[in-house]
Amino acid sequence: MLHYDRLMAVLNGRKDDVDRIPCINSASVATIEFMKVYGARWPAAHKDPVKMAKLGSAAHRSCGLGNVSIPFCMTVEAEALGAPIVFHEDTIKWPSVREFKVKDKSDFRIPKDISKAGRVPVVVEAIRLLKKEFESKVPVNVYMVPPFTSISSYLVDSITFLKWLRTMPERVHEFCKETVNVYVEIANLYRDAGADVITLHEMGASTDNISPTHFDQFVKPYLKEIIQRAKLPTILNICGSALPIVDRMVECGASAIAVDERTPINKARETVDKIKPGYPIIGNVPAYGVIHAGPVEKIGEFVRKDIEEGVDAVAPGCDFWLETPTEHIKAFVDAAIAFGTPSKKV
Amino acid sequence: MSTSNKETILKRLTDAVIVGDPKTADEAAKQALAAGISAYEAIMNGLAEGMKTVGDKYEKKEYFLPDMLLSADAMYAGLNVLTPHIPKSQSKSKGKVILGVVEGDIHDIGKNIVKVMLTASGYEVVDLGRDVPTSDFIEKAKNEGAQVIAMSTLLTPTLMSMKTVEDKLKEEGLKDKVRTVIGGGAVSEDWRTKIGSDAYGKDATEAVDKVKLLIESIKSAVELMKKEGKKE
Repeated sequence: MLHYDRLMAVLNGRKDDVDRIPCINSASVATIEFMKVYGARWPAAHKDPVKMAKLGSAAHRSCGLGNVSIPFCMTVEAEALGAPIVFHEDTIKWPSVREFKVKDKSDFRIPKDISKAGRVPVVVEAIRLLKKEFESKVPVNVYMVPPFTSISSYLVDSITFLKWLRTMPERVHEFCKETVNVYVEIANLYRDAGADVITLHEMGASTDNISPTHFDQFVKPYLKEIIQRAKLPTILNICGSALPIVDRMVECGASAIAVDERTPINKARETVDKIKPGYPIIGNVPAYGVIHAGPVEKIGEFVRKDIEEGVDAVAPGCDFWLETPTEHIKAFVDAAIAFGTPSKKV
Repeated sequence: MSTSNKETILKRLTDAVIVGDPKTADEAAKQALAAGISAYEAIMNGLAEGMKTVGDKYEKKEYFLPDMLLSADAMYAGLNVLTPHIPKSQSKSKGKVILGVVEGDIHDIGKNIVKVMLTASGYEVVDLGRDVPTSDFIEKAKNEGAQVIAMSTLLTPTLMSMKTVEDKLKEEGLKDKVRTVIGGGAVSEDWRTKIGSDAYGKDATEAVDKVKLLIESIKSAVELMKKEGKKE
């Protein structure tokens, strides 16, 4: 069975059809070793589609990871809406925002032509390149940062914005409504270019930050809208504590949810099965403490535990740590093959 | 002043912090002063009590970041009125803490909450803000004679800055004078061990507990050195 068919079976509700549990990463797959081996260092790989495609497929080529994934950055959408991005030219550092630009609704720079805004065209071109090579063989995952996290972390001063959830809820909605269309259009550009899956990485909405009630009020409606209008398989990924909101995550309507180690799989499984039996859960091998830190035996142990607890795809639930040794990613994939193949489980 | 009146005013201060209402906190602080309640008492038995409840609720996942931030605003509104009325002799600080978000990171919500909790607990906080160059932490700690450097980051990419500060402290031989505590989304006990920081606080409440322990550890180390010095 091909990687593509395996993941698509899970996302389309046919998980009993798979020969083994897929092993993927729906967030960033970039590591420093991959950047060197594939000649796709940062920041160049953020801006050059050829390099982006190389780095996004490195973990698949070198380790057999079950998907390719781009971009490697949380700020693509924020940049398209006017956030000034620092790319750290001389060092390998994640792109960051130095300044929050938006104070008023009119401060959003809604692009006239979204296909030309910021790095959207770079991602689109990289998708085309990946699609050309991997069509129907390896799923092309593209991750996006949805309105709540994007606005609260990269566009509006976070403190001000979070207080508004209580003091000026109508303003929060106004900002989300003003911009939601941009996110939908970006998702559709990605789909048209050949993306097989869109992962919505809503890390700012975990219960480490906001309450389940606020999730219902300010996060769910916009996720629902993007998921409904994007018309392709989607994964809703929330790293951070999300156990109190897994039911709400399911209600957003994505094809699957993905969580990290702060959301225990067995408990999430229990909650999810009550409302939507068998609904796919992806996760939650710790990207730093296990996959990066190793040793190989510990990686295998965690993967085995995850599968026993009921994941439908083994994944880190967040970005690979940049310093992760390639052999650890290999061990991670091998463990998923060893423990996720039914005949070998017996 | 009747006891019940005093209690009512203190409770009003406490409640204003709990519900996160800066306007009422400001009014109640003025009311307290007008009623002859000492600024010190109004802070400790009014505002700080409220912040304690807020901290508990946050830990129990009844309160979330927006609640913490509004409560912090209320506490500062009260402190702004009350602090100028504290006689110098009474404002004995329990210790001095240099606080900041490390270079490359502008996410300072957690840091601000720690600041509020430290201030409420009687520590003097020198807030360097966000995106703070590593050398600034050390220079400030030296110039201010602080006992603790507290650093945070939400992001994994900026973790290395914490190690740089640790390494510089070691290089300059300051580790026995200045302790460090780290925290924030990307930080873990693992990371603390790896870089040799003195403490990790998983949240604001724990960060304050760790600061207390660190300052006590410095004091007992100083006592010990004094005693040993006398022996010689």
